[in-house]
Amino acid sequence: MPENPSRDEIVKARKEVYLGSVVAPRVESRKLFLFSLLCALALFPLLQVASGRFNYWLHMLLFTFLNVTMAASWNIIGGYAGYISLGHNVFSGIGGYVAGALLIFYGLSPFLTAPLAGVVACLFGLLFGLITLRTRGSAFIIATIALVLLTKLGLDNWELLGGTNGVSLPLLPLPARFVKLPFYYGMLLTAVGAVYLSYRIRHSKFGLGLRAIAQDETKAEVAGIPTSLYKILAFAISGFFPGMAGALWAYYLTYLRPTIYFAILGAAEIVLMVLLGGRGTVAGPVLGAVLLVAMNEFFVARFGSTELNIAGTGLLMLIILIFFPEGIVGTLRDRKKLPRLLDWG
Amino acid sequence: MALLELNEVTKRFGGLTAVDRCSFTVEAGTITGLIGPNGAGKTTVFNLISGLLKPDVGKILFAGEEVNGKPPHLITRKGIARTFQIAREFEEMTVLENVITHSPTRGLPDLLKRSVLKEEREKAIALLEFVGIAHLAYEEARKLSYGQKKLLELACALMADPKLILLDEPAGGVNPRLLERIVEHIETLHRQGTTFLIIEHKMDLVMGLCHPVIVMAYGKVLAKGSPEEIQEDPRVLDAYLGAA
Ligand SMILES: Nc1ncnc2c1ncn2[C@@H]1O[C@H](COP(=O)(O)OP(=O)(O)O)[C@@H](O)[C@H]1O
Ligand SMILES: [Mg+2]
Repeated sequence: MPENPSRDEIVKARKEVYLGSVVAPRVESRKLFLFSLLCALALFPLLQVASGRFNYWLHMLLFTFLNVTMAASWNIIGGYAGYISLGHNVFSGIGGYVAGALLIFYGLSPFLTAPLAGVVACLFGLLFGLITLRTRGSAFIIATIALVLLTKLGLDNWELLGGTNGVSLPLLPLPARFVKLPFYYGMLLTAVGAVYLSYRIRHSKFGLGLRAIAQDETKAEVAGIPTSLYKILAFAISGFFPGMAGALWAYYLTYLRPTIYFAILGAAEIVLMVLLGGRGTVAGPVLGAVLLVAMNEFFVARFGSTELNIAGTGLLMLIILIFFPEGIVGTLRDRKKLPRLLDWG
Repeated sequence: MALLELNEVTKRFGGLTAVDRCSFTVEAGTITGLIGPNGAGKTTVFNLISGLLKPDVGKILFAGEEVNGKPPHLITRKGIARTFQIAREFEEMTVLENVITHSPTRGLPDLLKRSVLKEEREKAIALLEFVGIAHLAYEEARKLSYGQKKLLELACALMADPKLILLDEPAGGVNPRLLERIVEHIETLHRQGTTFLIIEHKMDLVMGLCHPVIVMAYGKVLAKGSPEEIQEDPRVLDAYLGAA
């Protein structure tokens, strides 16, 4: 590149500015694709209503929505801001216990209290962020692991809610044919909310600041970005939808028990999904969650619920990451081969 | 009142006193040079002024207001911009995004605004045109040559309309033709009222551009004066010969 831009180059750059700011994007296949996908997901339960034979699929989709929620939310702090959290299941745990307690003690439906559970998870994230995110770097990762252990310890000892053994929650009074539907829609809404939030942040001033922090925190601070505030906010916000999803999940399982949130590797799986799809991209966590759930299910169906299925999933992930080191969406974007359908920013 | 004033500022790293009871002022409207042998503590002074380091002792006043101990982003907001000795950029962002990250629009109410506002884009492009790399606006910053990265840093520093710009060795690793351009830019901005504090090794550059010049050695201020006075000061010659 010449140091002195030629006239043509300046004109070209100006044109790009002009095009970028004035011309409205054409109605794209991408929007159509996402819209159709949402319609299909919204209408899918009709099959169940009609035949009653789709409970398995409803369950798998609902479980996928849960994972999409977790991955897209994690990506806000772990992807955009570059701060790896190994404690995101804590947010769902807190959400679940808040909504569960409100159900048991006050009879309030988690469908009503889920947003509140999200807010509590947020506040919790704010508090934890205030303590740990004012400093920089890898201490945060370790602190999030400690957070998982401490929260689990706390819940294990919350005797009013059954401690380690947990407590069962009242069933939603609906016939088996319909009982999954409210959960399905609730979780779908949560997932859509999480992805939309992550999309909005990616294209906002806030997102630009978080990306700056991920790339060079010192430079970001000198650029005038209040990096501590941004990080703490990002962490807190990334707890909202996991908190909501956690509330629905416990009610769906009909019991509250620490292990449903703190299974071994639970938090690490969220990270894996995002790495698989592409850290810091909008579509990546969604794709990663779908793929990981699908792979797991495939290998469980093949080999049963044994070590073989974990090994199979792990091996497949490894192969994907060898070919797509930045995750599928990240690597395709770097090579400028990302299909427009997956280019969400 | 001086625009910037350092008052008996000291910074230690373990046993090493990198900046030792350092006092000087930068008057508004000047291009002040800061020279001294390697390890004299010049970059550390910049880190103290920009808030990346906190002084152990002493005060730093900007426009009469005490800024030592304030976080860097607040100091930037008050009107001090800086560049780094080794150019730093947000590598995975575009050149344009790099500049816009330095825009002052980022308070709490602005957080959900679009990452690149129209007026910011126009301003950033104008700055990139000013430093001559507008044609690279949509390239990833890591693809720039080192000299271009230095120009990008200058554009970034200008995005928030600072009153004072700290340049850490703007000529380092830059070819002579590019250097001429950087000097022109500094002079243009200076005429428009921006104050500069410039660390530089290339003596001919300092002597041609800066007035006054501050000389540091071993963390202390040795001398301050016009380029001619500095060149004839025996203490300055000593410091350079001693370090050579
Ligand atoms: N972060 C740091 N930690 C420890 N020592 C440092 C640090 N920064 C600078 N120093 C030391 O302080 C002294 C002054 O360094 P510096 O300010 O970079 O000098 P200059 O920019 O004048 O060449 C050097 O001896 C350097 O090794
Ligand atoms: Mg230096």
